[in-house]
Amino acid sequence: MIPILARKNDLRIRQNILRGVYEENLLMLGRGHPALSRHRPFPLKKILLYAVVCLFAILMHGQYEGTSFSPSETPANIGTYRLSPPTAGVSWEGTANTFEFSDFVNSGNLPLSHMFGLKIRTIMIDAGHGGADSGSIGKMGTKEKDITLDIAKRLKTHLVKTSRSHVLMTREDDSSVPLHKRVALTQEAKADLFISIHLNYLPRKPTNIIETYYFGPSNDEKTLRLAKQENAGSEYGLSDFKEVMEKLGKTMKLQESKEFAKSIQANLFLNSRKHSEDIQNYGVKRAPFVVLLGVDVPAVLAEVSCLSNDEEERELSSETHRENIASYLTAGILDYLNKGAITYEAKK
Amino acid sequence: MKPKNEQKQDNLLFVGIDLGTSRSAISSSNGMREWIESYVGWPRDFIAEQVVGKSVLFGAEALQHRLSLDLCRPLERGIIKEGIESSERAVKEIIRYLIDLAKPEPDQKIHAVVGVPADSLKVNKLAIRKAVTDYVHALMVVSEPFAIAYGMNLLNNALIIDIGAGTVDFCIMHGTIPSEEDQKTIFTAGDYIDEQLFNYLIEKYPNSRFNKNMVRQFKEKFSFVRDIDEVIRVELPVNGKPVIHEIKDEVRRSCESILPALVETTTEMIARFDPEFQVKIKNNIILAGGGSLIRHIAEYLQDALKEYGTCKVTRVTEPLFAGADGALRLAQDMPSKYWETL
Repeated sequence: MIPILARKNDLRIRQNILRGVYEENLLMLGRGHPALSRHRPFPLKKILLYAVVCLFAILMHGQYEGTSFSPSETPANIGTYRLSPPTAGVSWEGTANTFEFSDFVNSGNLPLSHMFGLKIRTIMIDAGHGGADSGSIGKMGTKEKDITLDIAKRLKTHLVKTSRSHVLMTREDDSSVPLHKRVALTQEAKADLFISIHLNYLPRKPTNIIETYYFGPSNDEKTLRLAKQENAGSEYGLSDFKEVMEKLGKTMKLQESKEFAKSIQANLFLNSRKHSEDIQNYGVKRAPFVVLLGVDVPAVLAEVSCLSNDEEERELSSETHRENIASYLTAGILDYLNKGAITYEAKK
Repeated sequence: MKPKNEQKQDNLLFVGIDLGTSRSAISSSNGMREWIESYVGWPRDFIAEQVVGKSVLFGAEALQHRLSLDLCRPLERGIIKEGIESSERAVKEIIRYLIDLAKPEPDQKIHAVVGVPADSLKVNKLAIRKAVTDYVHALMVVSEPFAIAYGMNLLNNALIIDIGAGTVDFCIMHGTIPSEEDQKTIFTAGDYIDEQLFNYLIEKYPNSRFNKNMVRQFKEKFSFVRDIDEVIRVELPVNGKPVIHEIKDEVRRSCESILPALVETTTEMIARFDPEFQVKIKNNIILAGGGSLIRHIAEYLQDALKEYGTCKVTRVTEPLFAGADGALRLAQDMPSKYWETL
C-alpha cells in the first residue's frame, strides 16, 4: 500500500512540475498571467520617508529658484517633446542660471570638473533594484533588476576599455542592496561620478520613453510617483535624512548632475532614435530620488527603456539591444567627461 | 495495428538539448546522443574559406582552425556574450548543428526542451527561444540544473550544483518547479580556474610559451583538489624547444580557487531552506557539469560541510549528458496538450 501511495505522490509532483514548466514558457511568450505587474515592497517606513522627501523638496523649492536652479527651468513635465541634437553654447533644458556663482561657474560652458582641473577617477554604476526587489516586471516575465544588471555590466566593460577611470558597481549579482548601502558604497569608494540605471513602466501608456533624472524638487505627479517607487528600500532613518538634506547646498553637485544628465539623455535618445522612430524623449528632469540625494558627486538616474511596452520588452531580450543601450550610456558619460574637447559617437 | 496515440508519436522526435558554456549536448528519442564544444567559427575571408572548406565550423574543428576563423563562444559566463550579433547567430548555428546530429527524418516534427545556464534564462530567454524556433516545431526552455534534477528523478529535497565553465548554478528541488529563490548562480567556475592556472604558470615559467586553450586542456586532463598520488608534467616550448614542466601545484591551487565560494554558497542555499527539511537536502547534494569531474571535489565538499552535520555529496554518472538526458525526459513526459500551444 505504501509504495502505491509514494508512487501516486511522485506522479502528482511530476505533473505539477510539468505544468509549472509549461506555464513559465507560456509566460515567456507573453501568453501567461496578465496580472503580473510592478511588485514593490512598500512598508509604512518608506511611505513616511517619501512624505518627508516631498515636504523638504517643496519647502526648499523657493531656495532653489534663487540659487542653483534657473527660474525658467521647469520641473518634470509629463508631456513629450521632440529633441534636436544639442548645439554648442545652447542649453538643452533651459536658460542659464541667474545667481553670481552660477554665472561664474557657467562661463565658458565648461563643467566645473574641467574648470578646476578636477579628474573623474572613479565611476560608480548602480544597477537598479536586485534580490527580492525585482523592480517592474514585463508581461513576458522580464524583470527590471535583471536587465539593469546586464546593462550595468556591459557599461562597466565599455568604460574600463574607453575611459581612464576606475569603474565600480554597487551590485555585481542578483543581490539585494538597500539604497542607503548604495550611497555608502559610493562614498567609501570616493566615487567621482554616479549613474543609476532603471527601466520605466507605464502600464496605461503603450509608449516607449527615455528620461534622465538628477536630484531636485518636482511638482509633477508622475515624477513623484516614480520617485516613490524608486525610493522604496532606502532604509534611511529620519536623523540620517536631515544630514543628507544639508548636502543640497552643494551647488557643484547639482550643476554637474544636470550637465551629466543632459549628456546621458542626449546620447541615449538620439542614438536610440536611429533604431526606433516610436521612442519618445521625456527629457532631463528633477526628482527627489533618495539615491541621488545621498551621493555628493554628480549623480543621475537614467530610465533607459520602458518595460511596459511589449515591443520594447521583446527587444530587451536581445543582447544587441542591451549592448546598444550600454554603448549609448558610455557615449553619454564620455561626452560629459570630455565636454568641450571630444564628442563621442556611440559605437557598437 | 498500433494504438492511435503511438501512431501519432511516430512522426514526432523529442530532443533534449543542453546548451552549455563549454559544451553542448543533444539526446533524442531516436536514441542519438551527441555533444560538441560550444564554439562556432566563420572563415575570416575568402581564402580562409578555401582553406577550411566550410562556411561554418563547430566545436573541436573550429578550435583547430581558430586562426582562420572569427571564433565565437556564445554563452560565455552563462549569458550570450559580447560579439553580440555573431553570438546570437552562433547559438542558432549550434542548435541547427545539434539537431542535424540527432538525424531527424525529413517529415518528422521536432519537440525540443532546451536547458540553458540559469543566469541565461533571466535576460536571454526570448533570444534563445528566437534562436531555436526556426529548427523545431515546439519548444520549451528550462534551466540546466533543473533539467538535470528532473532527469535524475530528484524532484524533492535535493540540491543540484552544476559546475559549468562560465557559471556554477545551484538549484534546490522541493517538489515544485524551482523559483528564483531556489536558484543561485556564481561566476567562479571552470573559466575562472583556467584564468588562475594561466596566471600561475606565467608566474612560475615566464619564458615558456603556452596559450589559454592549452591551459584549458591541462585543466581538463589533470584537475584535482586535495592531493593525488601522481606527478603532473606537461611539455611546453621554451625558445622553440620542447621542455618538460612540472605543474601539479599550480593545477591544485587553481582548482581549489573555486572552493571557498562553492562551500559558502552551498551552506547559504541549505540554510535558506525550511529547517525541517535541511537534513534531507544535506544528504542529497548532487554535483553535475564538467567541474564535477575535478578529482576529489565531492569528498572535499562533503568534508567541508561536516561541521553542519552529516551530509552526502555524489556526482552524476555522465556529466556530459545529464542535462540533455533530463531535458529529453521532460520533453517526453510533457503532456501533448501542453506542446500544442507552444
